Order: sequence, then structure tokens, then C-alpha cells
Amino acid sequence: MATLRRLREVPRHLLVCEKSNFGHDKSRHRHLVETHYHNYRVSFLIPECGILSKELKNLVMETGPYYFVKNLPLHELITHEFINTFVKKGSCYALTYHTNIDEDNTVALLPNGKLILSLDKDTYEETGLQGRPSQYSGRKIMKFSAEESRMMSYFSSYGIQERQPRVALSTASELQCPVLRSGELGGAPGAACSAPELLDWLGAVFSNAQLNNEPNNFVSTYCCPQPSTVVAKAYLCTITGFIVPEKIRLLLEQLCRYFDEPKLAPWVTLSVQGFADSPVSWRENEHGFRKGGEHLYNFVIFNNQDYWLQMAVGANDDCPP
Amino acid sequence: TSRFRRAKQEPNVNIPGVSRAQGVASAGELRALAESCKERDSGRRQVDAALPLDILTYEEKTLSAILRICSSGLVKLWSSLTLLGSYKGKKCAFRVIQVSPFLLALSGNSRELVLD
Repeated sequence: MATLRRLREVPRHLLVCEKSNFGHDKSRHRHLVETHYHNYRVSFLIPECGILSKELKNLVMETGPYYFVKNLPLHELITHEFINTFVKKGSCYALTYHTNIDEDNTVALLPNGKLILSLDKDTYEETGLQGRPSQYSGRKIMKFSAEESRMMSYFSSYGIQERQPRVALSTASELQCPVLRSGELGGAPGAACSAPELLDWLGAVFSNAQLNNEPNNFVSTYCCPQPSTVVAKAYLCTITGFIVPEKIRLLLEQLCRYFDEPKLAPWVTLSVQGFADSPVSWRENEHGFRKGGEHLYNFVIFNNQDYWLQMAVGANDDCPP
Repeated sequence: TSRFRRAKQEPNVNIPGVSRAQGVASAGELRALAESCKERDSGRRQVDAALPLDILTYEEKTLSAILRICSSGLVKLWSSLTLLGSYKGKKCAFRVIQVSPFLLALSGNSRELVLD
């Protein structure tokens, strides 16, 4: 009976919402962006915008490259030469490709020089290494990112390939957007929407869901949270690949500067999703995959430099920092 | 700075439907199909089997959809769709690709990144 009950349960998940201002000394935005290492998808939405500025466009096009190396023996990552050439310079990130964190052995290299090995029981015993059990239950293909074009020549014997992140740009017309107040994270009845409602709405927009269904609609009852306004156009951008935190930080700073000149938009959003199969979420917090491997964060940047930050994780995750 | 924490209760299920025949022609058909699954598998009357279900998106080209259901209905919906073998007399199969309480997480799937 207990097993049946457990199987019927929906795994827990957490959404942490906080608000602050970019000008505050103690604002954690930079630290949280920089310690979320393995990012798969970055997207931003700018209401009342039809064309991207040159600065933003350049940043979007320069989020890569990243490198893909096949059949790399792990011992190559702990040679003195590799450590001196790449790891000691900082900003070297790596993650095994096509390994599921809940099924396969997975390896990740963090920019602080730590190599994280998430191993199944047999492999762990074979290595004879000292480790600790996962909190929640080779010859490998790896994807790398490093601030170093020497990557290509260093791994030339392993068939290294350079890849560029994929960029998708689009505009949405007559988009219903929730009304928000930067000081009201939980919303205000009749006056402003809450942070979780905003996050849901953002998901609906990027999934191309209908936002204006009637409550008695047979197919879907989802609609934009109220109160809302309709904007004539909104700019959407999505970048997918292996994206380093430094590039995301630059994007965040540029989006903050969006409001240096008066703009119609009251806010813009920047969302980042981590790799479902990364062994860590923020810093060295263990990340796992139960029914899903989500670990994502979303900034809402207001025109007065206030911001909301939402961090979401799934069941096999520590609480976000 | 202030923050609050909330454990959300509404998982969204990303479900592609693969049909070798005509395929599900519209979101409305998919909705009706999902309802009939639940009725059939719950073994109860129509009224008891009802759970609020939304088809948030349906893409005919890829035969994939995003469904939304309350957390208490997740297991029932997932198992019903998994066990569905035919629709209107034609063989079909459903495969659940992603499940998440956060709709934003369903707009991208890192397991679908193809490098080789």
C-alpha cells in the first residue's frame, strides 16, 4: 500500500521567487548567474519592441562557440598540460553529451577546476575513488566551452568540432502581457499579477500556447493572468547550445541598459534553462532527474532597475541558493 | 530583498502522439481522446472520471502536444495515455517526452540536443 501510494505521488518541486534592485550592494544576481554553470537554453522577451538593438544583436550572435569532442578518455582532463592550458585560466566548462543523469555515468568540469563524476555503483567501485552517495539514487563524449581557441588544436587527435549555438528570433503581435508591479512579488488582486503567474505565462508564450481561451472552452481553459494589457508587438529571442554564464551575464547587463533611454515596455524578461543531465544545478548543489530534470531561472527586469528572480528546480534537487 | 518559496501543484505534461494512420486531426480530437482514456481506465462513470485537462498546444506537423493537468491527475493521465493502443479503430501510440510543473521548462528539452 505504501509503495502504491508513493507511485501515485507527484514528486515535489520548488519555485523560489525573490525581488531586489540591480543597484543594491548585496544584490545576488551576478553570483547566481555565474554559479549556474551548464546552460542549455537562454531566451528573452521584450514587450513593445520590433527590432533588436545592434548591441543586443551582437551579444546574441556571440554566445558561442562551444566544442564537441568524441571518445575522449577522462584521464585527458586531469593531465598537467590540460590543467595548465585551460583549467587554471578559469572559465573552462565541460559536460558529457548524451548521458542521462538518472541512468548513465556523467562527468562535468566546473570553472573552479573541480571535476564532478556522477557514477553508477559498478563504475564507482571500479574506480576505487572516495566519494559520497548521491543524495537522491569511460571513454565519453563531451561538450566543452572554454575561453580559448586553442581547444581546437589541443584535441585535434580526437576529432573535435566547433559548434555555434542556435539562435531563433521572432516577433509576436497583439500579445497579451500581465500587468506587474515591481514591489508586489505576490501580485495585488485586481492590480497586478504574481511572480508564479508571470512564469506560467512566459512558458505559454514560448510554447506558442493560446492565451485567451474562454473558461468553458473544450480544448483549453488557459488564459493570460489578469490584469493584462495588449502590446502591439513583442520581441522574442531563444539561444540553444552550451552557453557559459559569462555570456549570460553580459546579456543581463545589456538588458538592464535597455531602460537607459525611455521605453514603452514596463519590463523585460531573461530566462535560462540548465541541462537536464548536469550533475549540478547552482555551485556544487547536486542535481538529478526524477520525472523531469528542470533547473531554470528567470529574471524580470523593471524599468526602475528593480528585478524579480525566480529559480525553479525539480524533485531530485537541493533548494536553490 | 524579499523572497518566497512555493511548491507548485500543477504539473504540465508534454506529450507527442504518434499515429500511423490519419493521426489526430485537431486539438479538439486529442482532448476527446484523452478524456475517453481516462474514463476507460478509471473504470468509473463519466462524471467520476472527469479531471480538468487542458490541451495547451497541438502541432499537427510533429504530432506533439502540451497537456496540462492538476498534480493529482498526473499519474492517471500518464498511465492512460501510455496504455492507449488504438484510436477510432487505428493503431496508435503515445510517448511522454517531458513532464514538468513549470511550463517554461517544456519550451526546451536539452535531451533533444543533437551534436552528432
